Amino acid sequence: MSDTATATDAHDAHGHGELEMGHIHVSSAAMFFKVLVALLFLTFITVAVSRFDFGSMNMLIAMAIACVKASLVIAFFMHVKWDTAINKIVFLGSFLFLALLFVFTLADLLTRRLDHEMHTIKSPVDKEWVQPKPQADGNH
Amino acid sequence: MSHDDHHAVVVPAPGPEFVPHEVAHHFSTPVQEFQSGKLGFWLFLATEILLFGGLFAAYFYFHEVYPETFRVGGQQLDWRLGALNTSVLLLSSWTMAMGVRSAQTSQKSKTLMFLGLTVLGAAIFMVIKFFEYKAKNEHGLIVFSELFRPFIENPDGTGSLAWFQDYHGVMAGVPHGHMFFAIYLTMTAIHGLHVVIGAGLIIWIMFGTAKGRFHAGYFMPVDLVGLYWHLVDLIWIFLFPLLYLVP
Repeated sequence: MSDTATATDAHDAHGHGELEMGHIHVSSAAMFFKVLVALLFLTFITVAVSRFDFGSMNMLIAMAIACVKASLVIAFFMHVKWDTAINKIVFLGSFLFLALLFVFTLADLLTRRLDHEMHTIKSPVDKEWVQPKPQADGNH
Repeated sequence: MSHDDHHAVVVPAPGPEFVPHEVAHHFSTPVQEFQSGKLGFWLFLATEILLFGGLFAAYFYFHEVYPETFRVGGQQLDWRLGALNTSVLLLSSWTMAMGVRSAQTSQKSKTLMFLGLTVLGAAIFMVIKFFEYKAKNEHGLIVFSELFRPFIENPDGTGSLAWFQDYHGVMAGVPHGHMFFAIYLTMTAIHGLHVVIGAGLIIWIMFGTAKGRFHAGYFMPVDLVGLYWHLVDLIWIFLFPLLYLVP
């Protein structure tokens, strides 16, 4: 006879007694709606705080709110909160490698002189790129 | 109990409007099939994070080097359209989550309705994006017909970009005005491509749903397309403040 898998797991079936996929978590519709309201509210906050000038803090504030929104999407909409450990490691681990990229990019930026010299970064539309400026101290 | 490998594992249909799911022959159980598919998809999403991550690194780098360029560049975008598109994507992310939930609970017509609403959200997003691009094209900030023209060398030795004409000189006072629009276009166009692909995948999933292929015993494709759609939303959550409200 053939194997017939029903994958029924009564423990986690949230009121849906029929066929449940093993230990899969089915979130309640009310929770999804609360997450949506929170995300829309945080979008409003994002626009509102951008109206004020906090100097360099504006970037940190905007990114902090975006990170909270992203966490809500990842944890609830993407079900990562209830996902297996290996899936959590794979996806959240990608942000670790992203942090590595950002840290070394930032290290480059902070060890440069942040003054007018920055504008001499070679760009195809720089005049210097086509016609190198003569050296100020003459010949070498 | 025979252990005949040639006998497929079948997940029965929960009702007459559904079809049974036959587990792929290289898996022993539906749960193993589901977890393998999901792990593979999470790996793919990790590569997506790194793809966009490189672009975000470019954004942060040049934002730091040319803060004025980015500030003035951001002012050329309509934040109201950006906020509207953010809300559209957040709503469509919610309808997608509800669509996956409906598939998990074997509610066929609800699944179809929520997936249809998600595609509608994708369409509204792309229509708004089209009008934004159209305005940039008219102002010469992104001349789409000249995007693939190489860098032009002027007779006086200076260079110019065919795709960046800035007809009204709005970026004239800041260095390298094209930098902001190059990053804006690259990030939003790759994101927009994901929106279009995502919408196509959702429509594909809707056909399967209509045929009754997805139910409480087998909903992996709906779940994975859902994850893809949420990722599209996730990226936009960062793009909106960075491009439209340049901090």
